[in-house]
Amino acid sequence: MGDGRAGGANRPAWLQQYELVGKIGEGTYGLVFLARLKPAHPAPGRRGPPIAIKKFKQSKEGDGVSPTAIREIMLLREINHENVVKLVNVHINHADMSLYLAFDYAEHDLYEIIRHHREKLNAPINPYTVKSLLWQLLNGLNYLHSNWIIHRDLKPSNILVMGEGEEHGIIKIADFGLARIYQAPLKALCDNGVVVTIWYRAPELLLGAKHYTSAVDMWAVGCIFAELLTLKPLFQGVEAKNTPNPFQLDQLDKIFKVLGHPTVEKWPTLANLPWWQNDQQHIQGHKYENPGLHNIVHLPQKSPAFDLLSKMLEYDPRKRITAAQALEHEYFRMDPLPGRNALLPSQPGEKIVQYPVRPVDTTTDFEGTTSLQPTQAPSGNAAQGQSVSRSMPRQMPQQPMVGMPRVAAGTNMAAFNAASQAGIAGLNPGNIPMQRGAGGQSHPHQLRRKADQGMMQNPGYPQQKRRF
Amino acid sequence: MADFRTSSQRERWIFQPHDLTERWAAANQRAAETLAQYGTTRLKVGSLDGSVHSPDHVEGSSDVKPLSYEEEQLTRVFYEQKIQEVCAAFKFPHKIQATAIIYFKRFYLQWSVMEHHPKHIMLTCVYTSCKVEENHVSAEELGKGIQQDHQIILNNEIILLKTLDFDLIVYAPYRSIEGFVDDLEGFCREDNSALQRLKELHQTAISYADKMMLTDAPLLYTPGQLALAALHKSNDTLKVFNFERYLETIFSRQHSDCPVEHFVQSINAIHYLVDQLKIPTVKDMRHVDRKLKHCWDRSSHDEHKKKEKKSKHKSKRTSTDAQLNG
Repeated sequence: MGDGRAGGANRPAWLQQYELVGKIGEGTYGLVFLARLKPAHPAPGRRGPPIAIKKFKQSKEGDGVSPTAIREIMLLREINHENVVKLVNVHINHADMSLYLAFDYAEHDLYEIIRHHREKLNAPINPYTVKSLLWQLLNGLNYLHSNWIIHRDLKPSNILVMGEGEEHGIIKIADFGLARIYQAPLKALCDNGVVVTIWYRAPELLLGAKHYTSAVDMWAVGCIFAELLTLKPLFQGVEAKNTPNPFQLDQLDKIFKVLGHPTVEKWPTLANLPWWQNDQQHIQGHKYENPGLHNIVHLPQKSPAFDLLSKMLEYDPRKRITAAQALEHEYFRMDPLPGRNALLPSQPGEKIVQYPVRPVDTTTDFEGTTSLQPTQAPSGNAAQGQSVSRSMPRQMPQQPMVGMPRVAAGTNMAAFNAASQAGIAGLNPGNIPMQRGAGGQSHPHQLRRKADQGMMQNPGYPQQKRRF
Repeated sequence: MADFRTSSQRERWIFQPHDLTERWAAANQRAAETLAQYGTTRLKVGSLDGSVHSPDHVEGSSDVKPLSYEEEQLTRVFYEQKIQEVCAAFKFPHKIQATAIIYFKRFYLQWSVMEHHPKHIMLTCVYTSCKVEENHVSAEELGKGIQQDHQIILNNEIILLKTLDFDLIVYAPYRSIEGFVDDLEGFCREDNSALQRLKELHQTAISYADKMMLTDAPLLYTPGQLALAALHKSNDTLKVFNFERYLETIFSRQHSDCPVEHFVQSINAIHYLVDQLKIPTVKDMRHVDRKLKHCWDRSSHDEHKKKEKKSKHKSKRTSTDAQLNG
C-alpha cells in the first residue's frame, strides 16, 4: 500500500494501473470513483475487475491527512470478513495530499434494491432474499462487534450487495468513517458528535446517552429489517438542525407512535438519560396507547420474523438482541433458509430480479474536475455517496418528509427535474445515457474477493441444503 | 480492535531478533552508501506528498563519516525517550506515547536515522499517534508546545503513514497489565494485604513497561508477554503474590499454543533487554548528534570546522539543538 513518487506532471503513477470509468458518488469527505484495474495481459474485450475508489479531501487547511480517512483506513486494515468491504489499496495523490482508498466494487446496495422494488417493481422483496440479506448483515456485524468495532452509521445505502460474479448477492458492510473501536476510548464516544442518520438512530442516542454500545447498530438493523419487509423507512422523523446537537423530538415521536412509550419499569436506565430526565418537550407524556409494529410490517405477532424484529427494536439497549444471538434465532432456521447469494430467485425457475447498476458520471476525472458542462438531468442525489454521505435527511430541505427520503431520480425527466428543483447538483450531463434506469445514488465502496477465498472461508450458513 | 490475535501487529510487526538486526544493518549500509555517493544522506522528502528522492550531490570535503550501527541504535533510544518526555509534557494519555514509540520503531526498521531526521520523525509519530488515538492535537499546537516548526510534522506525515503501511492500530502492554491486575483481584481474593497492594503493583509495572518501550521488546513480543514480564518484575520487588502459581492458573484456564516454559523464557528475555537498556545522556549524544548533522548537511560540517579553528566554543546551532535534545 502506499505509493512512491508521482509519475507525470499531473498523473500520479498509481493511476496507471486503473482505467477510470467515472464518478459514482460525492459527499462531505470527498468523491467516489469507479475504475477498472488494467488487466495484466491486455487483449481486446478483456476488462479488469471493477474497483471503487474513494477519495478523501484534505482535512482542515494545514492539518495534514484527514482524521476520518485515517480512522477508516486503520480499521479496514485490521478487518477481514466476507460480509465487510475489502480495502484493496491505499493511494496518495502527491499534488494535494489527498488519500484514495481502493475497494472491491459492489454493484448494488440495499437503498437501491429497496427503491427498485418500491418504485419499479411495485412488489415486495422475496422472503428468501430478505432473510439472506439480514443474515449476512448480522454475520458481518457479529464479526465487527466481536472485534470491538461499532459501525455507528448503518443504513441501507451503507450496506452493499455484490453484483454478478463469484460473489453475486453477497452483502458487504461499508463506510467505516464513523466506526469506532470501543475497547478503551480515551474520550467518551459521544465526543465525536452525534452519529447515525436519524432514521436509524437508537432511542438511547436520541435521548442523549453518553455511553452507548454495539446495541446502537442492532437498532439500525431492526429498522433496516422492517424496511426490507415494507420497502419504507420504519421511522421517518424530520431532523431538527437548529443547534449543533439538537433534541430530535420528531424522530422519538415516530418511534413512540409505533412501539409505544418506553417506561422506566421496562427500561430502568431510561431515568438517567438526559433528555428523558429533564422531560424535554414533555417527552414523558403518554401520547400513544396502541403500539402497532405488527400492522406496519404485516407480520403475525407470533411469527418468528416478528419476534426477531421486536427483539432488535427493544428499547433497553441492555436487553436488545445482539448480532450473535440474532444469528441463532429461529427465524433463520425455518424455510426458506438464508443463502450465500441473496439475489437468487426464491423459487427454482422464477425469474431473477434485474437490479439497476449504478449510474456513472463519466465526465469527471480523479481530481473531481468535470470536463463537460453539466446540463440538466442530475442523477438524483448521486451527489451523495456513502460516507460520502448519503446522509439523507440532512441533505434535504427542512420539510416534513413524506414518502421518499431523497429525491427519487428515475429515468424520466420529471424525476430529473424534481431533483434539480431540490437543489441537488447535477452530475450526469444530459448527453450521457443513464444506465438501465438507475436513478441517483452513487456509491462507493466495495468488494469482491477471490472466489476460492470466499468459498473456503466457510461463512457458516445455517444448514444449507440448496442455493450454493 | 481489541483482538490482538487477528491484528496487523501480530501478523506483520512481531519479528525475530535476526530480522531486526538485518533490517537495521541494511538501512545503515544504504545510508552510508548514499553518503559516499552524494556527500549527504539527507533524502529529499516532497513537502506535500511524502515522496522520497535521492539527495542532490553536495560538493565539498568528503571526510564526513556515517553513523555506525551502534550509533544509530543509541540515537533511536534517545529519541524514543524524548517521545516519552514530550508526551508527558503535554500530559497526553499514556497510550499516546506507546503508540508513537511503536510507530517510531517501525519507521526506523525501514529507514536509517541518517535518511530521515529522528527529531522530525519523533514529532510526526506523536502527531499521528494523537490522531489515531482520538486525542487530536493540531500540528501547530504540537509544534508550538515544543518550539518546533509544525511544518516539519506535516511534511513527514505521509512518509510515516506509507512506511507504516497504514497499519496504525497498535497494542501496547498497558492495557494488558490492567487486565491482569483485574484478574489478580480474583486470584488474590483470599489475601487482603495482597489486594491492598495491587495498586502499587500496577503502578510499578507501568513504570517498568515504560522502560520496556525503549527496548526492542515491543518488536519481538506480544503485549501480553510484555505485560506479564512487567508484572513479574514489579512483583519481584513488591512480593505481592505467587507469580509462578498465577502463571500456571492462566495457562490451565485457556489452552495456549505456547507452553509455559516458552513463556517464562520470553519473560526472561524481556528482562534481559531491559537490563541492557542504556539511555544515552545529552552528553553521550553530543558526538553522535554532530555526526548526524554533518551527514545531513555538509555545509554545517565545513562551517563547524571553520568555527572550531576560530574558537573552541560550540556553535550557536549546536547549543540550540542541545537545548532541545537535553
